[in-house]
Amino acid sequence: MSRLVLPPKPTTRLRTALIIAAFTAFTVVTCIPAIGGIELDLGALVRNWDNGAGLLTQLLQPDFSFFPRTVGPMLETLQMALVGAFAAAVVSLPLTLWAASPTNPNAPSRQLLRTIVNVIRSIPDLVYATILVAMAGVGVLPGIMTLFLFDIGIIIKLVSEAIDSADHGYMEGGRAAGGTQAQINRRTALPQSWPLFANQWLYTLELNVRISAILGIVGAGGIGRLIDERRAFYAYDDVSLVVLEILLVVVLIELASNILRKRLV
Amino acid sequence: MHIDSQRAEAGVTPASASWSIRLDNVSVTYPNGTTALSGVSLDIAAGEMVSIVGLSGSGKSTLIRTINGLVPATSGTVTVGPYTVTGLRGRQLRQLRGHIGMIFQGFNLADRVNVYHNVLVGRFAHTSTLRTLLGLSTAHDRELALRALDSVGMLEKVWARAGQLSGGQKQRVAIARALTQEPSVMLADEPVASLDPPTAHTVMDDLRRINTNEGLTVLVNIHLMDLARQYTTRMIGLRGGEIVYDGSAADATERDFEQIYGRPIQPGDRLD
Repeated sequence: MSRLVLPPKPTTRLRTALIIAAFTAFTVVTCIPAIGGIELDLGALVRNWDNGAGLLTQLLQPDFSFFPRTVGPMLETLQMALVGAFAAAVVSLPLTLWAASPTNPNAPSRQLLRTIVNVIRSIPDLVYATILVAMAGVGVLPGIMTLFLFDIGIIIKLVSEAIDSADHGYMEGGRAAGGTQAQINRRTALPQSWPLFANQWLYTLELNVRISAILGIVGAGGIGRLIDERRAFYAYDDVSLVVLEILLVVVLIELASNILRKRLV
Repeated sequence: MHIDSQRAEAGVTPASASWSIRLDNVSVTYPNGTTALSGVSLDIAAGEMVSIVGLSGSGKSTLIRTINGLVPATSGTVTVGPYTVTGLRGRQLRQLRGHIGMIFQGFNLADRVNVYHNVLVGRFAHTSTLRTLLGLSTAHDRELALRALDSVGMLEKVWARAGQLSGGQKQRVAIARALTQEPSVMLADEPVASLDPPTAHTVMDDLRRINTNEGLTVLVNIHLMDLARQYTTRMIGLRGGEIVYDGSAADATERDFEQIYGRPIQPGDRLD
C-alpha cells in the first residue's frame, strides 16, 4: 500500500500555551497589592481558626427542636417564590416575543426593551429588596416584587436569545400566507417556544426559593427573617437547621422540575 | 428562444380564479451587494404550469419570492393578477400574499404545532389579528382546512404534530396549508429537493392536479430536468440571474439543459 499523503496538520499548541500563560500572569498580578491588586491574607484563616471552628461545630449540630418555628416562614418563602415566578411567567410571555428578533423585526423597539431588561438585570437583588422594603414596608410584598424583577430579567434575556438561535422556517410559511407578525407569533412562534419558556420558568422557581431565603435579611419576608434573627442571637444551631431545610427544599424542587421538564419537551 | 408560439401550443385554458404573472425588467440586489436577478422579464398566463430550472445560486429562489413580495424587487415591476407587487406594503401586501399559496423545500411548518393549526395558518390573511390572538376560527375556515387536508390525503393525521410526520407527509400538509388560502397562484420553491424519489413524484403529481383540476397558475422551482419535462408544460431556464431559456418543457433538449446549467449533464441532474 502506498503511504497516504496528508496535508500539514495545523498546530495551535503555541497559541494555546501563550493564552494560558497570559491568563495565569493576569490572575497573579490581580493578587499583588503593591500595584493595586487585592490583598489575599491566607494567614488570617489560621489566626482566626478558633472562632471559625466553634461556629462550625455549632453549625454541624442542628437543633431539631427548633423545627416547629421554621415551618411558617418556610411556607412563606415557598409562597413568595411561587407568586413571584408565576407573575414573572405571565409578564415574560409577550415581552420575550417582543425582545427576540424573529418575533419582532422592528429593531428600535426590540433594542429599547433589551436595554431596559439589561438595566433591570444589572441591579443586584438585595438592592431591589432594600429599596422596595423602604418603599412598601417590611413584609412579603417587597420580597415578591424583588423576585419578579429578578425573574423577568432572566427569562426575557435567556428565552429571547434561545428564540433568536432556534430554527424558524415556519415564520416564512406564515408570512407567505399573508399573516401579521402577531398572528404568526400567536399561532406558531409561541407554541414552538413553549419548552424554552417552561425550562426558564421552572429554573426561576428554583432560584426564587434560594434567593428569598436571603431576602428576609433586609426585611423582605420569608425564612431569611428567621436566619437573621437567630444569627443575631448567635444561635447557630438554629441557623443550621434552617440552612438544612433550605437545602432540602431546593433539592426537592429541582427534582420535581427535572421530572416536569422531561415531560414538557 | 421560442416563447410565444410554444405557449400557445401548450393550450392552457385559464380559469376565472386563476391569475397571470408579469415581471417587467426585474432586478434584485441583496443588501450584501449580491445581484441575484438582473433584468428579468416574464409573462405567465393564468392557468399555466411553469417550471423554473437552474442550479442553486441561479436566482430561481429569488425570482419566485419577488412574486409574493417575500423578496422585494430592487428595480422593475412585478404584477400578479390585479396587484402591482412592487411597492406594496402592510395590509395590501398581506392581502396579495393571501391570494398566493407557497410551498418550500424545508416545508416551513411549525413542528410542535398540530397539523390542523398548521393548515389554519393558510387563513391568516382572511382573519383579523384580534381573532387569531383570541384563538378563534370561523366554521368556514375550519371547513376549508379540513377539505384541503382531505384533498392531499392527510385528513387522518389532522391531530398529529407536524414534527411527527415524514418529509412527504409534511410537504402534503404544506400544500394543504397553501390550498386553504383558496389561492389564485401557487408557488413552489424546490418542493421535492428534500424528498425521496417516490415521494417526490407524489408531490409533483399533487401540484399538477392542482393545476389541471382547479386551473391554478403553478410555478415550480426545480433543478431536476426529468421532473421539469414530465410535470410542467413551460420551462424557464435561469443562469446567473438571467433567463437563458423559455419554452416548452417537453421539447427541451439536453443541449438546452447544458446551456441552463452551464456545464455538461451529470447523473444528479435527473431524479430517476
